[in-house]
Amino acid sequence: MSDDLEKLYQSTYTAVVRFLYRKVWDAERAEDLAQEVFVRALAHRPDKPRAWVFAVAANLARDEARAAVRRKRHLTLLKGDPISQPTVSPSADDSVEHDEQMASVQEALSTLTARDREILLLWDAGLSYPEIAGQTGLAVGAVGTTLARARRRLVDAHDRQQKPTRDNAAHS
Amino acid sequence: MRHIPEDELHAYLDQGLSRSQCVEIESHLAECSSCRATRDGIAALRDRTTALLARLAPPRRFPSAFETLRGLAAQRVDTRRRRLRAMAWVASLVAALGLGWTASTMVGPGRTSVALNDPPAAAEAARIVASADSVAADTAPVDSATARPAQPAAARAPDPAPAPTPVRSRVRRVPAPARNVAFEAAAREDSIRAAKLAILDPAPAVELEPLEGPQPAGGEQFAGMWRTMSWDGAQSEAGQSLPRIDGLPVLRVQVQANDRGNRPLMVVAQQLASGQVIQTIEGPARDVSELLSRRTATSPDGALSVTISDPAPAADQAMAMQMGDRMLAITGALPSDSLRAMIRRINAEMRSK
Repeated sequence: MSDDLEKLYQSTYTAVVRFLYRKVWDAERAEDLAQEVFVRALAHRPDKPRAWVFAVAANLARDEARAAVRRKRHLTLLKGDPISQPTVSPSADDSVEHDEQMASVQEALSTLTARDREILLLWDAGLSYPEIAGQTGLAVGAVGTTLARARRRLVDAHDRQQKPTRDNAAHS
Repeated sequence: MRHIPEDELHAYLDQGLSRSQCVEIESHLAECSSCRATRDGIAALRDRTTALLARLAPPRRFPSAFETLRGLAAQRVDTRRRRLRAMAWVASLVAALGLGWTASTMVGPGRTSVALNDPPAAAEAARIVASADSVAADTAPVDSATARPAQPAAARAPDPAPAPTPVRSRVRRVPAPARNVAFEAAAREDSIRAAKLAILDPAPAVELEPLEGPQPAGGEQFAGMWRTMSWDGAQSEAGQSLPRIDGLPVLRVQVQANDRGNRPLMVVAQQLASGQVIQTIEGPARDVSELLSRRTATSPDGALSVTISDPAPAADQAMAMQMGDRMLAITGALPSDSLRAMIRRINAEMRSK
C-alpha cells in the first residue's frame, strides 16, 4: 500500500511537477504543489492513485490560478489601472534562447481552448485515455478526437509564429 | 474502402483503442498506402507536439525524499485528528448540557408541567454527538491505513440505536407521544455518558468560566467563611452526598465549614444548557435558612418557596426542603415546578446513599 505510493512518487513526481508548471508557470510553486499532492495522497490513500494525483494537481493549479487572478485584480484596482487579463510570464532561466523557445510554445499553448489544453497536458503527463476520460468527464472515444485537434492547433499556432521570418527568407 | 479517420489514428498511436480495434486498423493499414501516409503524418505531429511541450519544463531538481512527505502527511493526519477530538468533546459537552436541561425538567413524581421544557433539545444533542462520532469514525481509518486498506467508516460508527434501556427508573415516566422512544433513550444515554465525562474530566472543567449568577452564594455577606473547592476535594470532604443534579457539569463547589462538627454547608453550582446556573445547597437547617433569609418566603404545600427580593434581573427562585436538622435548597431562574421536581429528586438520591 505504502510502497505503491512511493513507487508512484518516484515514477510520476517529475510528470506532476511538469504538469503543474505548465499551469502555474513557476517552477518552485509547481514543486510545492506537487509535494502537496503527494502528501494528500498519503493521507487520503486513493484507490486509483495515479489518476487521483493528477486530478488533485489539476484542482490545486486551478485554485492557484484563481488566487493569482484575484491578487492581480486587487493590485490593479489599488493602482487605479483598468483591469487587465493576467498574462503568463515565463520564469527567468539561464539561457535567453531557451526563454524564447519556451515563450513561443507557451503562446501557442495559450491559443488552445481550456479543455483541449487540459487534455493535451494530461496526455503529455502520461495519463491513459480512460484516465483522461475519467478525470475530464469526456467519453473515452472523444479523447482521441480532442487530442487530434489539440495537437494540430498547437503545432499550427507555433508554426504561424515562426512563419513571418521564414516567409521573408523564402520570398527573396 | 473506408479510410481510417484521423482521430482514430491518434487513438491508435496513443494506445487508446481496444485490442479488436487495433487489429482492424492494422489490417487496413497493411493494404492502404494512403492511410499509412496519414498515420506517418500523425506520428510526426505527435512527436512534434511532445517535443514542443518538452520545452515547457521547469529546471529539474531532485524531489524530496518520500520519507519527508510521509512525515508531513502523518503530522497532518495527527493535527486533524486532534482537532476533531476537540470538536467531538465540545459537541458532547453541548449534548450533556442539553440533556441535563431536559432531564432536569422531566424528573419528579408529579411530572408537573414545566414551561421551559424543550423536547427537541435531547434529539438535537444526540444529533450533534452522532455527527461528531461519525466524523471521528471517518478519520479513524486514516491513521490505521499505513498498514492496511481503509475500513468502511460505517463499520466503526457507533450503533445508532441501542436498546431503549431506561437509564433511571424515572425515565420511564416521560411521556413520549409521536416520538421515537428508542432514539431518545439512545440520545439520553449518550448525553449522560458525556455529562459524566464532563464532570469527571478535570481539564475541561477548568475551561468553564464560573458564571456569576444573579445570586452569588459566596458573596460579601459570607466573605471569609466560604471556601471554593474542587469537585474531588469536596467529595473527599463531604463523601458521596454532595447535593447536585446528575448529568450537569459542575461549575463550582463552595463549602462553609462549621464548628459544630457535622457536615458542612455546601453550595454546588451547575450550569444548564441555557447557560443559567442553578445552585444546590445542603447544610444545617439554620445555615441554609440564613442563606435564604434575605428573601421573601412563602410556603406552598409544605415546602419553602422563596422569591428573591433583590434587584436581580432574572426571576430567581429558590425551593427548600427540611429533613430533620438539615435543609436542602435549590436556587435558579427556573419555574418553581421544576425546582420542586429537582429538589425531590436530589432528596431521594441523597437519602438512598
